[in-house]
Amino acid sequence: MEQAHLKANNLYYSQENFPQHTIAGDKLGAGLSLKPEHLDDILSLPVQAPSVNHNLWFEVHTENYFVAGGPRLNYLRAVRENHNISFHGVGGSLGSDHKAMAAHTKQVKALINEFQPILVSEHAVWSKSDGKYFADLMPLPRTQDALQSLIDGVDCYQSGIGRSILIENPSNYLDFISDMDEPQFLVEAARRSGCGLLIDINNLYISSKNTGIDALNYLKQIPAELVGEIHIAGHDPDPTLGQSLLIDSHAAAVAPPVWKLLEQALGLFGHTPVLVERDANIPSFTELMKERQIAQNYLEQDKVLRNVNAAGNEVLSNE
Amino acid sequence: MNSNQYIDAFSRYLRHGDLSVMAPFCENSAHLERMAVYRNGFYKGCVDALAANFPMCEKKLGNDDFRKMARLYVDHFPPEQGTLVGYGKNFPDFIIDLLKEFEFESSDKVGLTVAQNFSADLYVNLADIAYLDYAWLMSLMSADSNETLTIEYVTDLIEQEIEFTELNVKLNPSVLLVHVKKDAFSEWISLKKNNNDAITDRSSIDVFVMLWRLQGGVQARLLSIAEVALMQALQGKGRTLGEAFDAAITLDENFEVSDAFTACLQNELLEINSN
Ligand SMILES: [Fe+2]
Repeated sequence: MEQAHLKANNLYYSQENFPQHTIAGDKLGAGLSLKPEHLDDILSLPVQAPSVNHNLWFEVHTENYFVAGGPRLNYLRAVRENHNISFHGVGGSLGSDHKAMAAHTKQVKALINEFQPILVSEHAVWSKSDGKYFADLMPLPRTQDALQSLIDGVDCYQSGIGRSILIENPSNYLDFISDMDEPQFLVEAARRSGCGLLIDINNLYISSKNTGIDALNYLKQIPAELVGEIHIAGHDPDPTLGQSLLIDSHAAAVAPPVWKLLEQALGLFGHTPVLVERDANIPSFTELMKERQIAQNYLEQDKVLRNVNAAGNEVLSNE
Repeated sequence: MNSNQYIDAFSRYLRHGDLSVMAPFCENSAHLERMAVYRNGFYKGCVDALAANFPMCEKKLGNDDFRKMARLYVDHFPPEQGTLVGYGKNFPDFIIDLLKEFEFESSDKVGLTVAQNFSADLYVNLADIAYLDYAWLMSLMSADSNETLTIEYVTDLIEQEIEFTELNVKLNPSVLLVHVKKDAFSEWISLKKNNNDAITDRSSIDVFVMLWRLQGGVQARLLSIAEVALMQALQGKGRTLGEAFDAAITLDENFEVSDAFTACLQNELLEINSN
């Protein structure tokens, strides 16, 4: 029952927004990255269609809202009126340099208090060292002491914001000398810190192509009850090295093999909120909604729903 | 292997580009060159943020030269917070120092295409335009006013026969004063408006520009000497309205108090000081 214990202790969903006894169809569906250029489209979505609005949610990079006031927060407030939102951190540097963590999480917590996000996540990476912030997501070596540092970082973060988080697998471009593989590393970090996992299927696909790991085997090593969210996104070949090095660009449509891997992941994990990430080369809102609908269709497939009910019942009966 | 050593070496590579420091940590030396993805990501993230935070500087310099200058800034002042919101606080001063360097030595080392002639139009006003860009950003992101002084509030006081000049007020948090050359402000405005007005007056005078946020948009305007005195009196802890207007009248006996006060109310510049 250790698995059920973990899930029960994790506030992947705030109680207010995710009543425990919702049926699978009412669960958080597929979401989209929130882009300022789509604000008018989002605010003009029909509010009287709760089935659409309840399931459609938006994810933002938490640190983009580290502002004292002004229009940026106001537009997030406007979106929040009719949609669930998720806070996805990119600057927490869970794997290193935790000295400034309290100041960082203080700002995250203020945002959480106001916006009551349905999901809060960060990355299982490092991005700060010696007081400098490198503004990218650098992988950790998968060693025991790096694992401990990641666990310490998750602890600091979770106690700073007062709720548990999901941590995301990085995109790997090359292998660093390590003691364990990535599923082991992430699962151990989650079990020991009480956090959950955000599995980015595009990152996994990229890592598999760049470093030769078996993506399906990777997914099979991740316990379903730890997974609170899935990301999918587009990637591009490296401008100089071509297809031998895939880059996590978030600048293109989701590639067919990533959709395929998503289907396999949902078959293993059951119903899990899926986010279509897009950060560059932003298409129209209509275009992104079409991609989001594909993800939603995968979520509504029979076998995914069946898994959800089984997993959901097990968790609920232990709370 | 110790993960601190790995992160130290990785950081050194990101900052200085020496790949060899990462060799002991890489599984496959043939893949070492792929480390460039992370270094490119670091610079791209920072330079994109500077371009977003200093849009008129970028427009004036052109994308290529701006990015070269921004990259140099990243080398000198890498971000220190886990966010790029507001990154570039030192960029205007950095530009001043860089231009001073151009006076004494060839700037070929930074590869800026027109840097050989530091007085070229491209660099005139650049630092002031950076100050204005940054002030614009800070005003946009500043805290919302706690209790804006409105026309209705003042009307109420007058109806109750309360002397409103005794009211303690201060500038709302979005109001910022920037000290720049007058033609830098003109150039900044024409860059914002997409005009291509040539710079005509090089012997420009120093002026104060006030920036403030009104209904989600940032406004900017030149202040007269008396208006500067008024606004400076209301900065920080604030003052009574009467004291603030006296400060303006001391500098200009013809200062139109009621026009200025109405403008302050219409532009929501003041908030009631609860302290
Ligand atoms: Fe992701």
